[in-house]
Amino acid sequence: MDNLIVNNIRQRPLRALISVAGVALGVALVMLFTGLSRGMSNDLQRRSANLRAEIIFTRQGGMELTSSTANLSTKYAEELGKVDGVESVLPVIRYPFQSGRGFGFEMIEGVDWEGYAAMNGVALVDGRAPAAADEIVIDETKAQNNGKGVGGTLEIFGGKPYRIVGVYAPESGARVKMSLAALQDALESPGKCTYILVKCKDGFTPEAVAGAIEAAPATQGNKIQLTRDVVTNIEKSIPYLGVFLRALVGLSAIVSGLVVMLAMYTTITERTREIGVLKALGASRGYIVGIIEQEALVISLLGLVVGFAVSLAAGFLIHRAYGLLFDYGWRWALVAAAIGVGGGLLGALYPAMRAASLDAVTALSYE
Amino acid sequence: MKTILQAENLAKVYRVGSVDVHALRGVSLGVEEGEFLAIMGPSGCGKSTLLHLMGGLLTPTSGRISLDGEDMTAASDARRTDIRRRKIGFVFQRFNLFPTLTADGNLRLAERIHTGGRGAGSKDGEERRREVLSLLKLEDKLHHKPLEMSGGEQQRVALARAVVNQPAIILADEPTGNLDTENSAIVLNMFQEMNYRFNQTIVMITHNPEAAAMCRRIVQMRDGQIVAPSTGVQL
Ligand SMILES: Nc1ncnc2c1ncn2[C@@H]1O[C@H](COP(=O)(O)OP(=O)(O)OP(=O)(O)O)[C@@H](O)[C@H]1O
Ligand SMILES: [Mg+2]
Repeated sequence: MDNLIVNNIRQRPLRALISVAGVALGVALVMLFTGLSRGMSNDLQRRSANLRAEIIFTRQGGMELTSSTANLSTKYAEELGKVDGVESVLPVIRYPFQSGRGFGFEMIEGVDWEGYAAMNGVALVDGRAPAAADEIVIDETKAQNNGKGVGGTLEIFGGKPYRIVGVYAPESGARVKMSLAALQDALESPGKCTYILVKCKDGFTPEAVAGAIEAAPATQGNKIQLTRDVVTNIEKSIPYLGVFLRALVGLSAIVSGLVVMLAMYTTITERTREIGVLKALGASRGYIVGIIEQEALVISLLGLVVGFAVSLAAGFLIHRAYGLLFDYGWRWALVAAAIGVGGGLLGALYPAMRAASLDAVTALSYE
Repeated sequence: MKTILQAENLAKVYRVGSVDVHALRGVSLGVEEGEFLAIMGPSGCGKSTLLHLMGGLLTPTSGRISLDGEDMTAASDARRTDIRRRKIGFVFQRFNLFPTLTADGNLRLAERIHTGGRGAGSKDGEERRREVLSLLKLEDKLHHKPLEMSGGEQQRVALARAVVNQPAIILADEPTGNLDTENSAIVLNMFQEMNYRFNQTIVMITHNPEAAAMCRRIVQMRDGQIVAPSTGVQL
């Protein structure tokens, strides 16, 4: 490597640092946002995948990704239980609450614990089932993330502490559960739920059972969804996420490119006379473009390293502080790397071409 | 004797707004191999313009110029750059060393450009560099950066940078213009030494009659023309 380049960077450490930070910012933006979207979506999917009920019965508008209302009568459970091919049914209230550390919403579910555990194959690993109005159980992941276990408390409604009486595994649905009656009480929705889980008997396909439910007169006017559709819908439920991520990648490239362009532009202005000397020494246009691009490459690579380090550290800290999940993928890491380096090299191209086409005599007399 | 540089009826017109500035009005000049030539004349008479034409940094408005058998008159910018790389060494009034590089780094950079990246730091180059540095008494300044050296030392490094690649011709524009008398004398001696030792062809612009007196030939210019194409020492 040309030591002219290393020395140029050393000569102006602050400017180099700012350029490195610019590239790092672009890289970290891509990494953190894609990591967060992957992490949260994988998390939802994993938990939903642990729902063993094949069918989810809701009222129109009853359940969205981040909100839900208890607008479905639990009486439907009885009717659903009578439909051919249904093994068991279970009413669930799902309700979002502001998680204790202030960022985003978490879900709490009100269920009859024994029924839920039997239907979905989860079991308490510690403590007992929730019974009293202020008792909850949480899953192992939540217990680990929050550093809480049996005997601890969580604030759920109006800052009121709820006692953790059990910890269960594996994760399934919302990470916090209480008894159906308790949550109905808390929401002042007696006899209501958000949806009813329906598990099919062996030998019946979910489609067949869904069809039978649809045909039953007592269940008319409600929504019948297959669990596996809801799971894929979680990804689709943020319809512009993909567009958003692509826009973000583009913006990051522009940020990296602009910062490096500006830095290189001021560099060549400052070094106009040196470029004149290079020309007098017989350096070709290619050589001059080359050394400026090499300088941009060094800065971009440093920016990459810093950007990845920042992403990992920030992901870890945000996870610790807010419980958000980051899942970094190789594909996005490569995209981020291409953005950082590509943006840097492209940004430096214009100043480099300008430098290469400077008039030698004018450059030599530049003050 | 071989003619290294041949200029025929060179004219250069700069256009400033709608005004034509006639910097050179028909200059013809031949420089022989091994010559040490001084160009003198009042400020604005076209000395630097002539030197820049000789070095292919500019193209003439009319006339012809060739260097070591290569015609530079109609050559493209890339071609003239390539001729500079292979055949010309420049020394400037303001030294123009790369401030972030040491003396040695400056020489290596020139070498790297000269060889087009190939053979940089070759054994030949290393030897040549050491010889030049010892002739210019710069051995103990090798690892100093320009700001850590006196003007005289910087100009000696600049001269070393120009000669290290064994150019066909050295073009120097007032190389002692920024130096005190003592350092001027040292640097001029070094130019002379290069001329004697290596039979190095040198064209030097100077305002200093003593400097000119060290040259074998002095060309006097006025108003873009050569007024006294003389041989032998004058003044
Ligand atoms: N780039 C330019 N544009 C317009 N006019 C120029 C340019 N360069 C030089 N000139 C003019 O051309 C004439 C010759 O300039 P030149 O620099 O060759 O003179 P010089 O003999 O080297 O002077 P000095 O001794 O002051 O260095 C001057 O009148 C100058 O103003
Ligand atoms: Mg001049």
